[in-house]
Amino acid sequence: MIISSDDIIIKTIARIFVPFIQLFALYVIMHGHYSPGGGFQGGVILGASLVLLLITHGYEEMRRRVPEGAVILLGSLGLLIYSGIGLTCLLLGGNYLDYSQLSVILHVDPAHARAMGILGIELGVAFAVMAAVCSIFFDISTGGILPEDEK
Amino acid sequence: MTHIMIALSILCILGGFFFFTTATIGLLRFPDFFTRLHATGKGDTLAVFLSLIGLALYEGFSLSALKIVIIAVFMFMAQPTATHAISRAGIRRGIKPWVKGEEK
Amino acid sequence: MNEFFVVVGLGLCLLVFLVLYRVIFGPGVFNRIAAVSAIGTKSLIILLIFGYIYNRVEMFIDISMVYALLNFIGCIAAAKYLEMER
Repeated sequence: MIISSDDIIIKTIARIFVPFIQLFALYVIMHGHYSPGGGFQGGVILGASLVLLLITHGYEEMRRRVPEGAVILLGSLGLLIYSGIGLTCLLLGGNYLDYSQLSVILHVDPAHARAMGILGIELGVAFAVMAAVCSIFFDISTGGILPEDEK
Repeated sequence: MTHIMIALSILCILGGFFFFTTATIGLLRFPDFFTRLHATGKGDTLAVFLSLIGLALYEGFSLSALKIVIIAVFMFMAQPTATHAISRAGIRRGIKPWVKGEEK
Repeated sequence: MNEFFVVVGLGLCLLVFLVLYRVIFGPGVFNRIAAVSAIGTKSLIILLIFGYIYNRVEMFIDISMVYALLNFIGCIAAAKYLEMER
């Protein structure tokens, strides 16, 4: 299990950097059409910011801020967003993930509906990837045994 | 005006390249772990800062230049922290500093 | 100006190969981590210079920012791992 670092420099710098890293990850997710990036890459950066928090502030602090259940819930929510948008397109009469069908319920022309659909898909992918990275790192760093299991 | 900016940016990038070279020579030639880390930690930080400022000057006033300056500020804070963390881990693991007269 | 960027980029590539000596032969894992960190900072500048050579700076800046970030997180994580394992 990872304990908190007892060095004030590393802890302070990590505490300052984590919000900016998450802001940059949101930029990568939202700006994925024009520059390299997208849902997967932004999700990995979001996960990396939480990994930085975990390795500098220790497992207890991390669990207090980002509980294990919330991470699993976020991963499921991401999958739900992805498959929900895809199935909505299917129900509206198009193919799976055919975003232009969303123009019927969004009341915009098909091109805008396509852009919004892609944004929703990327948000879902980012949530799922962030939850997967965090969950894998939690499990590896604790050896698969969580503290609440021992009680 | 643009000629002055380009000349300044060339000067900055050449300065960065010089410090990269000295850091590399230090990393290759110094006798033990802590002195090598000393060379790369300081030399690379200044070199990255100078190179990025030079590239931002060449870019002029735009969003890209602002992003390059953000990278420069990030590296100027992150690189010494990373160096500090590695050297601390080295001390914790019991690496002895080199003293004069020892074998390299 | 383009030729200048090509020359500086080639010089930085040469420096990366010189540092690679420390990665391969450097005694102990700590020397190797220090050298890998140095390679990371050099490749950040090389990426930006590539962007100027190909006239696609907006694209390469994001890549190089991610590279700087992951280099930092990787260094901290490696230091933490080596500090814990006794």
